[in-house]
Amino acid sequence: MSPPLLVARELRKDYPMNGETVHALRGVSLSVQAGEYVAIAGPSGSGKSTLLQLTGGIDTPSGGSVELLGTRLESLGDRELTRLRLTRLGFVFQRFHLLPVLTARENVELPMAEAGVTAPRRRERARELLEYVGLRHREGHRATQLSGGEMQRVAIARALANRPAILLADEPTGELDAATGREILDLFRRLNRDGTTLLVVTHDERLAAEAGRIVHMLDGRIVAQDGSGPV
Amino acid sequence: MIQEPGPRPTEIALERGLAERLELRVGDTVRLGAAPDSMTRLAVVAAIYEPRPDPAELSRQGKRVRMHLPDLAALLDAPDRVDRFGIGLAPGVTAESAAAALNRYAFGFRAHPSAAIASESSQTFKVVSRFHRAIGFITIVASAVFLLCIMLLKVEERRMDAAVMRFVGVRRRTIFGALVLEAALVSVLGSILGAGLAWLAGAATNSYYRRYFDTELIFSLITPRIVLFSVCLSLLLGLAAGALAAWRLVRTPPMVLWGRA
Amino acid sequence: MTGLGWGLRNLGRHPLRTALALAGIAVAAAMLLDMVMLSGGIEKSFSELLLARGYHIRITPKGTFPFDTEAAIPRATGLVRALRAEPGVRAAGAVLGTSVYGRTADSLVTLVGYGVQPEAQGLYLVTAGADLGPGDTLGVLLSEPAARLLHAGVGDTVALAGRLDPQMAQASTDRRLAVRGVVRWIYDSRGQPSVGTVLPVMQRLDGRAAADPASLLLVKATDDRSVATLAAHLRERFPELAVNSVADLVVEAKRRLVYFTQLSYVLGGMSLVVAVLLVGTLLTITVNERLGEIATLRAIGVGRGTIVRQVLAEGAALTVVGGGAGILLGLVTAEYLDAILTSFPGLPQAFSFFVPRANTLAVAAAVLLLTGSLAGLYPAWLASKAPIAATLRAEAT
Repeated sequence: MSPPLLVARELRKDYPMNGETVHALRGVSLSVQAGEYVAIAGPSGSGKSTLLQLTGGIDTPSGGSVELLGTRLESLGDRELTRLRLTRLGFVFQRFHLLPVLTARENVELPMAEAGVTAPRRRERARELLEYVGLRHREGHRATQLSGGEMQRVAIARALANRPAILLADEPTGELDAATGREILDLFRRLNRDGTTLLVVTHDERLAAEAGRIVHMLDGRIVAQDGSGPV
Repeated sequence: MIQEPGPRPTEIALERGLAERLELRVGDTVRLGAAPDSMTRLAVVAAIYEPRPDPAELSRQGKRVRMHLPDLAALLDAPDRVDRFGIGLAPGVTAESAAAALNRYAFGFRAHPSAAIASESSQTFKVVSRFHRAIGFITIVASAVFLLCIMLLKVEERRMDAAVMRFVGVRRRTIFGALVLEAALVSVLGSILGAGLAWLAGAATNSYYRRYFDTELIFSLITPRIVLFSVCLSLLLGLAAGALAAWRLVRTPPMVLWGRA
Repeated sequence: MTGLGWGLRNLGRHPLRTALALAGIAVAAAMLLDMVMLSGGIEKSFSELLLARGYHIRITPKGTFPFDTEAAIPRATGLVRALRAEPGVRAAGAVLGTSVYGRTADSLVTLVGYGVQPEAQGLYLVTAGADLGPGDTLGVLLSEPAARLLHAGVGDTVALAGRLDPQMAQASTDRRLAVRGVVRWIYDSRGQPSVGTVLPVMQRLDGRAAADPASLLLVKATDDRSVATLAAHLRERFPELAVNSVADLVVEAKRRLVYFTQLSYVLGGMSLVVAVLLVGTLLTITVNERLGEIATLRAIGVGRGTIVRQVLAEGAALTVVGGGAGILLGLVTAEYLDAILTSFPGLPQAFSFFVPRANTLAVAAAVLLLTGSLAGLYPAWLASKAPIAATLRAEAT
């Protein structure tokens, strides 16, 4: 078996709130292999999003470590971490967070522009990705002109722009109705089938059910795991 | 200064600034002449006087010497010639009627009531006043735009609060009134602060220009009327800006404010 | 998509807010441009006026400036001859300014009289008819207002009187002169009725022919670069006279109008402060509104530098658009303000306080762009420092 893409060891995260300390994570360990589809499930406040943010290098842990593609994140400065997120990770958020003043295609091009990809090349790739998510015909529309489901699909295309090793998604269907959520479900299934490694935080049971492995969290700890694969 | 035997020296009075510049005191003797190469007349400084503060004299660099009319006429070799007469009138005679009577037979001169002269000679300051008013108007326009922009931003920052208030049943009127009241308070407080700053700036202006022009004139004057005008205008602008911003907020549906529509 | 393009699009998110900010910046930019024009306009306009006919130096009675007083330089003709003999002098001429009277059908009207040496004059430009000849003792030149007042034109005869005696009710000198031409007197104020004759004729009208007086001597240097040296030499040679180059006269004019120069600096500074506050406030608030978006961008790998550049570009975009409109507005307000100030009594009609030049426009634009862009520094720093995770957490709640 090849080494895991992502290894989190004894992760802890504490942060102050209203004069008290909140222990969001209390020693969580997790590893993800290439090609896996892992769902992290649990009630609100269980630490799911915090775990995702730490593994994605968006936040720094109070204790423990994260190793991504053989690199320990705590050894990296802000610039290197940013570069890592740009080139090796893809993020999808609950609220899409597309730039409303840019078109769908421009939103997808954004990470490639930041990575220094030439304009013709990134335009071509953006169109490919929009084709993949079924929105090529909407490439010229501004984000504000798209529906919720369309925006999330554009966000997924954006996350795939620089061919990330892992796609991290935080409640990707949280803002969507059931029908639209199913579209995202289908897309994730297709992504994983095509080789994309997925780490998804979700309340959505249907989305979790699609995963090859479900990690259950409660009160900042992993309490159970369903499906095959290491914890 | 040289004292030579000869004709009785002429008596002169010097402006204070001139006396200081030439380091002269009462009793000193000087030479006078109509041209630099004919400084033949001796004169004694009989007095040093402080000229009355006159705005029209501000930019004048030359200083003045006063002497008796016959002495000056003799110095200039222009006997029996003057530039102007001043005429005092008997009680009941108006300056206009006297001037009109004189002008009926005038040849080589013209009579003007003193008030007309004052009006003419103050044209310069009327121009400066108009200029100041124009600048003031432009400043007010800029301030009004700035105020409106800031009020709009401030109100928009609170759109979520406004949405929640509407959700829980607070009436549009109440939200509108609260925002307008806030705008009014900000305007009044701001203009009072502005009046304070203006007073300081005025004091600095007076201090600087008095020193620069060596005069006791007042250049900047903040009167209660000006302060009242400023506060009222500022209040008016603030109310208008606040009302416009608040009206935009309350007429927007709460769900749109909330960001879900 | 360039940073500026992105910035421009972001400004379009809130049209009313942006429009108001642009209006505010435009007014501030207009005021800044006007003050830049004012600060340099007096000097520029006055220099151009003085050099209109190419005369670099003015010589007046000691302690006076041209036409400041009634003092005169005696034996002017001899002085002019001496000046013309100077090696560094290309041309020299004398001017006498005095009051004369024109006879109309039923009255006498007061006129400003100039006695000139037409072969070396720096006071007028002929607009109709012809100039006086050097020895033309029978000719006169009129300004347009004088021509209207005397109901005379080229070819007509006018009667001029000098030295009115109130007791005898007659003029001591009278001349009938043929109108050779209508001229624009360069230093005349608006509506000023002026007449010009050769110097000896005006001296006789003035009643001081024996003294051969002049109010002013004009000197043209052979080389523009040697003016200062020539002026210094003439001062040494003629210590009883005041010798002033154009630069000296400009300094004096600036001293007399120092208030406007200082006002221009103060108001110009205030305009910049207003523009900076407006841009800075707007950007700060919009950055605060978009913290979630910014945090997302940071999360997906967009660097701090890109975020900072984008915010600065927004500030620059605001300043460029608002400033551009402000420049146009400033040209209009400058005309309005100039019309006010040039109504000063006695000011030459050709004088201008607000002088639009390419370099003043460029200076104002550059200063505005720089300060407007720098106004985005604080909000840009704010944007770059936004903690990603905490912001995303806050957005999710």
